[in-house]
Amino acid sequence: MRLLMWWAGRALSSAATLLGVSVLIFTAVRLMPGGFAETVLGPFATAEQKAELATRYGLDQPVFMQYGHWLAAVAGGDFGISMISRQPVGAELLARLPVTGELTVLAVAASALAGVPLGVLTAVRSRPGGGGAAGRLLSGLGVSVPEFVLGSLVVFVFSRYALGLEVGTWVPFTQDPAANLATMVLPAAVLSVFAISVTARTTRDAVLGVLVEPYVTAAVGRGESPWFIVRHHILRNAATPVVTLLGTITAYLLGGALIVEHVFNLPGVGSYIVQAVGRRDYAVVQAGVLLAAAVFIVMNVLIDLLVGVLDPRLGVLAGRRS
Amino acid sequence: MRPIRLACGVMAALLASACAATGTTTTPATAPDRPNPTGYLATADQSLPVGGTLNLAVHIDSGAATGYDPQLADVATTWQLLSLSYETLVTVGPDFSVQPMLADKWDTPDPKTYVFHLRDGVTFSNGREMTADDVVGSLKRLLASKSVWRGQLGPVKSVTKDGDRAVKVTLSEPYTPFLAALANIPAAVLPMKEIDDKSVDPAKTLLGTGPYVVENHRQDVSWTFKRNDKYWSKGKPAADAVNVTIAPEEAARIAALQNGSAALATLGNVDSATMLAGAKNVQVVTQATTDFYYLMLNTQAAGSKFADPRVRQAVAIALDPKQIADVALGGKGRPTAITPAGLPGACDPAALPSASKSVDEAKKLLADAGAQNLTFTLSIFSTEPAPAVAQVIQQNLQQAGITVKIEQLDEASWSGKVYGKAPAEFDAALSWFAGYADPGMVTKWWNPETAGFNVGFMKPDKELNTLIDAAGKEPAGAARDKALAAVCAKADTDAQMIPLVTRPATIAFRTDALSPSLYATEGYGNVLRLIADARVKKTQ
Repeated sequence: MRLLMWWAGRALSSAATLLGVSVLIFTAVRLMPGGFAETVLGPFATAEQKAELATRYGLDQPVFMQYGHWLAAVAGGDFGISMISRQPVGAELLARLPVTGELTVLAVAASALAGVPLGVLTAVRSRPGGGGAAGRLLSGLGVSVPEFVLGSLVVFVFSRYALGLEVGTWVPFTQDPAANLATMVLPAAVLSVFAISVTARTTRDAVLGVLVEPYVTAAVGRGESPWFIVRHHILRNAATPVVTLLGTITAYLLGGALIVEHVFNLPGVGSYIVQAVGRRDYAVVQAGVLLAAAVFIVMNVLIDLLVGVLDPRLGVLAGRRS
Repeated sequence: MRPIRLACGVMAALLASACAATGTTTTPATAPDRPNPTGYLATADQSLPVGGTLNLAVHIDSGAATGYDPQLADVATTWQLLSLSYETLVTVGPDFSVQPMLADKWDTPDPKTYVFHLRDGVTFSNGREMTADDVVGSLKRLLASKSVWRGQLGPVKSVTKDGDRAVKVTLSEPYTPFLAALANIPAAVLPMKEIDDKSVDPAKTLLGTGPYVVENHRQDVSWTFKRNDKYWSKGKPAADAVNVTIAPEEAARIAALQNGSAALATLGNVDSATMLAGAKNVQVVTQATTDFYYLMLNTQAAGSKFADPRVRQAVAIALDPKQIADVALGGKGRPTAITPAGLPGACDPAALPSASKSVDEAKKLLADAGAQNLTFTLSIFSTEPAPAVAQVIQQNLQQAGITVKIEQLDEASWSGKVYGKAPAEFDAALSWFAGYADPGMVTKWWNPETAGFNVGFMKPDKELNTLIDAAGKEPAGAARDKALAAVCAKADTDAQMIPLVTRPATIAFRTDALSPSLYATEGYGNVLRLIADARVKKTQ
């Protein structure tokens, strides 16, 4: 019963969040300077052509009516038509989602595989004057270097010295998996620098927090080996913040791979939204932002469930979280 | 230590495999010492074998809400892509002379009549033969449409069949740019039988007589073309397929060129040539175009700072187009009057009234108009080299005591500000016009009653409009040059739109992958004009 209530509560709050996001984005795109007609049809268009376009996309109706129609359509799974390509936005998002998804999976995998061991290593080996400072400096750099700076640098270097890794192009996975990976490795690496750094920092702090717990001191006193202590006592207890972070990063990367996709010319959801914003292609921007919000919400629910599995005290049924 | 060793091992293995996979032995540039004929930047080496796939990277897709319909296409990037599948009755040569294409010859029995004789053996890519009905139907459809190009065709009175293989066009009065206007993609011959029976929608399907057929298009991602096996010109196109990647980021195009995934790329920034200097097997060329930058001074806003013609003339005098060309465009552009520099019969910008006056005279004009401390905002879009052009304008005008604030906007915001309202609310704005292939064509945009799009910031000038129309009627020759010179001088004095410098196109290609043909000067912004001639040396 409690689980049912929890799901109902989450569903309601998720729907409310999505509704709020939809109102915000719908209003925001219409407040952006630059009219759709001048942008989409160009300066040569006649007033008649502009009016025709407005009628075709319902843009001549009051905004609240436009919103109502859009919301009803979205509820039925119809995200509208792109004013540029005249293709259904939903189909185009679906075609682009695998690119962003692959990029995210690679970046998150790199974050988990590199960030967690790095964090553990810097925590268990931290001693005054040791490598902790260097680790913090490196992770600080990783967090603070903007993706477009790093991305542009990588594009420049690897366009000269490719080392088998393609830049500025993309090959579908279904066409040639090896070539696809060659085009995805660098953008995923750029995208993961921030995520690895944050993961390493969070892991380090979590591990340091566990290291001072009495049960660790007791384990050391029992003469257990250091790696046994790390595996059995530290990792599980330090996992909650790390898992939460990885979940958040996944949602962030899925919704926010804008810059990397643009710099590396990958046909993902991010570059689709960037181009749509530039052209005031309303339906695409609205659908893209709504998708990103939905991913965030779903990831948060998954994190809550996973955290509950890792630490039943914090779980759904423990009644500590709503 | 073990995990670190393992990591190092994995990294070394990855690098080794990556290097092994690179193994591309790029043949050194075989820089043929073949001199290019006059009017060409490059000519394809016809001794190379035909076949292969040509990979291109361009900065923008055809982004028109009107779809693929060539008649409604109004920007050069769309003309460029559609030109792979569509063709026109006539085309332009490297010297802007009108040359045969789907019409192999034409007669002009009097200055108001043109009879086009259609080439035999031309079929659409669906295999159906092109007929005189297709030509008549296409032209009538264009004239009845809302196309921008409708106005460029001039005063067409009638279009009729003249037997099965000829088409007669009658004008209501002589119009010299008529043939040049027929040489651009909006005047393409469409499959009218299929359009009329609604089996083909030209907004969704490309069905033309051109060298390539579209296999796939993903908006803002790529185009895939394969050769049209039924193409009328034997031996063309040389390449079996053309892949066009859309890469908005200049760095991504440069990267694709350097690593060989693109054989040819269009570049936007004039400094990109410097970035590619020393890149192996990459050649960068600058194609002159008839497109040009111009400055708009809004005379229609309430309390306009430019309502007094003396203020506008002072701005025109203080501007130094040569400096704009040298500094902002790296010496690749040319000062121009409203007839684009580079076109036969174009006016000499040095002969314009404003060119012979000094900055002191500009200051005096400002003082006479009571605008000594003129300050205005110049709205520009952020795409290079517009910011650089704006900075030189700012420095030029400072010499005359005019303070310019530069307002840099993204293209959509800029477009909304300049064209969104009438009267428009900006002070001054920078933009560029496509210059086309006849000096009289773009002058039409100086008549807001014809152009329409500039009525929000520009007041029609009766005298200027009369001069523009008069120049359109004059046949090519000394009398026309004189008529055009009068148009240029009047537009210079009016100074609501001030022409500045021509806009160069930078093209880079892999010499080990491609032997292209390129005109030295292009009128319709079509870098891919001679793509059917290009020989693929090897597909990267």
